[in-house]
Amino acid sequence: MQGWVILALLLSLGVLRSRGQNGLSELAVPHSLTLQPDLPAQTLSLTWQSDSSLFDIEIFHTELMNVVLNETVAVTAGPVTGQRGWTWRSPSPLECTSHSVQIRARNQQSVSQWSPLQTIPGSDIPEKSESYMYPQDKVVPVGSNMTFCCIVKEKYNFKEIMYKGQTMSATRLSRRAYAITVTNQPASDNTGTNVVCCSPMFTLTGAVVFVGYPPGDEGLVCETRDLASAECSWKKGRDTHLRRKINRTNYTLNGRDCLEANEGKTWLCSSKVWEENWTLVARNPLGTVRLTDSAQLADRVHLLAPANVTAVEVEAWNATLNWSWPVAAYKKLEMICQLKLIGHELSSTRNYSGTGLSSVMLEDLWPDVDYTVTVRCGSKHAFWKWGDESAPYSIHTKMDRPDALDVWLWMDSSNTGRVFWKPLSERESHGALVGYKVSQSSAEEDMWTPVSLPPERLNYPIILNNSSDITVAVAAQNPAGLSQPSAVTTPAYRADSQLSVSELLGTHGTFELSWQPNANASRGYVVEWVPTGCRGLCPVNWEKVPESDRSFTVKPDSLEGGVRYTVSVYVLSAGAASLLQRWQGYSQEMIPAQSVVELSVNQTGSDVLLSWKASAMEHQRGFIRGYTIYLANAARLDLVANISDPEVRSYRVKGLPLSSYKFIVKAYTSAGEDMGLTVAIKMEIETAEMLFVGILVPLAAMFCCLILISICCYKKREWVKKAFYPEIPGPKVPGDWSSPPGPLDVKPSPHSLVHIVESPEWDFSKKGLVPVPEEEEEFENDNIEVDTDSDEPALLRYYNHVVGDGSHSNHVSDSSGSSTASVGSTQTEVTYTGIQSPSSSQGVCDGGGYRPQMQSAADPAEPQGEFEADFQDDSLNTGYKPQCSWQLDSPEAENLSGSLGSPTSVTSSQFLLPESSEEKPQSSNTWFHSFLSGKS
Amino acid sequence: MEGSANSDAPGTGRSATDNAARLARLLHRDCTRLLELYSERESFPSPHVPGGDRLVSLGPCPEPPTPGQQVGHVRSALRRCMELLECLIQREVEEMGEELAGEYESLRKAVRDRLGHLVHSTGALLGDEEGGCPPPPQIQCDEGQDEVEGSGSFAVKLWTYRVLLELIHWTESASHTLHVFHTETQQQQQQQIL
Repeated sequence: MQGWVILALLLSLGVLRSRGQNGLSELAVPHSLTLQPDLPAQTLSLTWQSDSSLFDIEIFHTELMNVVLNETVAVTAGPVTGQRGWTWRSPSPLECTSHSVQIRARNQQSVSQWSPLQTIPGSDIPEKSESYMYPQDKVVPVGSNMTFCCIVKEKYNFKEIMYKGQTMSATRLSRRAYAITVTNQPASDNTGTNVVCCSPMFTLTGAVVFVGYPPGDEGLVCETRDLASAECSWKKGRDTHLRRKINRTNYTLNGRDCLEANEGKTWLCSSKVWEENWTLVARNPLGTVRLTDSAQLADRVHLLAPANVTAVEVEAWNATLNWSWPVAAYKKLEMICQLKLIGHELSSTRNYSGTGLSSVMLEDLWPDVDYTVTVRCGSKHAFWKWGDESAPYSIHTKMDRPDALDVWLWMDSSNTGRVFWKPLSERESHGALVGYKVSQSSAEEDMWTPVSLPPERLNYPIILNNSSDITVAVAAQNPAGLSQPSAVTTPAYRADSQLSVSELLGTHGTFELSWQPNANASRGYVVEWVPTGCRGLCPVNWEKVPESDRSFTVKPDSLEGGVRYTVSVYVLSAGAASLLQRWQGYSQEMIPAQSVVELSVNQTGSDVLLSWKASAMEHQRGFIRGYTIYLANAARLDLVANISDPEVRSYRVKGLPLSSYKFIVKAYTSAGEDMGLTVAIKMEIETAEMLFVGILVPLAAMFCCLILISICCYKKREWVKKAFYPEIPGPKVPGDWSSPPGPLDVKPSPHSLVHIVESPEWDFSKKGLVPVPEEEEEFENDNIEVDTDSDEPALLRYYNHVVGDGSHSNHVSDSSGSSTASVGSTQTEVTYTGIQSPSSSQGVCDGGGYRPQMQSAADPAEPQGEFEADFQDDSLNTGYKPQCSWQLDSPEAENLSGSLGSPTSVTSSQFLLPESSEEKPQSSNTWFHSFLSGKS
Repeated sequence: MEGSANSDAPGTGRSATDNAARLARLLHRDCTRLLELYSERESFPSPHVPGGDRLVSLGPCPEPPTPGQQVGHVRSALRRCMELLECLIQREVEEMGEELAGEYESLRKAVRDRLGHLVHSTGALLGDEEGGCPPPPQIQCDEGQDEVEGSGSFAVKLWTYRVLLELIHWTESASHTLHVFHTETQQQQQQQIL
């Protein structure tokens, strides 16, 4: 038992020691902790009693015991109650979930025990089973951050929270509570920004947040309209984006509600009395703006518009205007009034001043003009601003007589002319013109003969019956009367040809003229410009120049580019105007509208002469500076010549070969050249030349060549003969081998006819002699005399016919050619007629009998030796033996042994038998041979 | 009911029942468009609909109603819808003023006018007979707050959404019922002529 007591003491001592080491024994636990939530502000106020001044505070989300705050704070005690208080601002609405708080005192490292947990319940407690979202309808400034929480209805599942239609990342606060945090919120739309909490099936709940700006109004100004009350206005600032009535900006002026402004329709606030100092307060849930203004009433007078503006007396040149004031107090106000006059092409502003001004006389008006008048006034002393403008009022002034006309007389010949006058402008006519009156008188007849003309006429023709001058007077007429007449005397006519007309170059579309002063120019000068060459009703322009001036510039609006003008300067004196100087020129030169005319081209040998004429002056559109000639060559133009003298209108193109040519001639001014005129020519040889060159020369050349060749050949005939036709000795055959005239018909003996044996060794389809049936032979050799009366056995005839290979071609055979060629070249229809074999009918070489010439080309060398041997054998037999493989063809050949082996003999088309017939055709080779040999 | 149907004289162009049916169809399209505009304005998630019971519901009929009674039944619902729409407009104007004048606001006014015309024209079709089904309870604007969860602006928006859904539902129902009624009326008239 004692042991147990000792053990208990020891343990209690140990505990005390440990407590003493932690300091717990020294600090009292804070007590009477109370929590006071401010839900809209999301703050939690803690109050407690304690002697300490340093505390550890811990705040949890009760359900999940998540620590949301663990902080050490120094808190002083309240002077009266001795309570200590501290406020915590929660980042999320306090309704989202239950919050628990505990607190302990701290003194450096010593701390007391935690106070008992104090809890404020959230809306997620089981007793509240519906869905909720917090905060509701909060108004926050743009760019702020907010946390929204959704408490899901019991037995429902949470899916998502959407902010402005966008799904946000949610965190779980408790079993039913979820939260999202939105940063840097943009301004809301008209009805606020929706935050929606959804289950998988339904929209559970939601909240609206109104994100906007505090008021931004500025520039408060107060003024009086009636010299008693005040009217204050200001400029609305930026849009607050808070449209709900309860969130709109509320205005008060000097503490009084501005009903008009609070309706959101105007930014104006009225006060019945002038207070000199004004304060406007603009307030919305996000902020307040104070605007002030201070002024004396007299300094802020803003008059109302004059009423009942009327014109009491309207004349041609002036009018009197009256109006009234809606405020009686204005009658004593020193004011300045501004009248705006707007007429046709006329506008002016005139100021008038006076006390309570209500009538003014408008002077310097123009007759017959519609004016619109408006009036506005302001306080003359301490002028603040112009008052409201009156409604426009219209005035129409009366008419007056027209101004005098500007008249000029233009002579287009020595006795005809036309008087011109310029139309009067609206300001000069002083009323619509009804016509003109033209009067003329001559020096001889001192009487005026008036003529009335309609208002659209601006000229009148003049005819001088005699040489005396005529004076013409013109006056304009409107309903108010006639203008002062303007008189002009006919100037002396001077044709251009009578004068030295200078060339005038325009400058930027104008004519800049200057002249020497003339002592007679008592009334100045007249500058006249007319299109050159114009007759009759021409656009005559003129301008009167004071006598002191020596120069004048003709403006481009009366000039037309590309038109030649005749510009004259006249001296005006008491009598008729006299011509001082004259020019011709273009205000602006252009390329010619038409090219040269009558362009022609003529060939002279190898030359071509181009000639043309200049186009009419109205088409030149500038001074012609020259011509360019081009040769059109495919797609390009080659410059042939540039003629800088415009008087030269022809050009000779020399040395052109025979061909077709296309020439283009273009005229050019300082502005450039025109499109040009084209002319084409085909160069041809002239008749005599054509005869000479085309016929005689080639003939002569050919003839000379022939003569030269003939001479040459004659001179060198021996050499030619040796080279091309060496002497071929004829075979010496005993006996008479002469044959009767006509085709050689050798009648073979009845028992030694040549029989054609169809042997496989002979291919008649190839080169060689072809046996021809009798019928065909007769058909093809009608002209050949045949002894049809003979009762001899039928003759077997052979043509040295080469089958195929164009053997019938009639070409000169080449002596060096093969035997095949010689066979093929045979012109003469060689007919073997009744060749009688001295031996048997078997035409074989070895047997000494006749064998037709065939297949010699196949192997010309091989049969040669055989032939020699055979020939020797034949010589021994002293009788004719037909050649075996190839034959002599020279008709001159008498010595067969001498011609043996000569290829030349092979080319011969001579009948195989020596000179047996006089009628055998003589080949060209033979003739040439004879020619070279000098034989006839 | 039948007496009013007799006013549909054949051969005089469209009958009153036909006109009412056409008007109901037009109104149904208008209400659908109105809800679209509202959803666009409020960025409401389209697949989500507010939970809860119908705002306008009819009591059970003691016996199967005739087509004429059905028309009367639908007309009663339309009158409740009209009252709801009046409340809706009143609340929106109170909150926002009359500054907003977009397509939603102009269509909202058109729906109100056409709905009033449909209620009137169906009343003319029925005469004095309302039918055998008990009418739904009358709606007061102040009571509307009880229909929504909470009292914030979002609750009002959600309630507005549900009112528009009711309008769509009952105008569609009216369109169908009036079409059936028109068909039967025509058949009866043809039988009478024969």
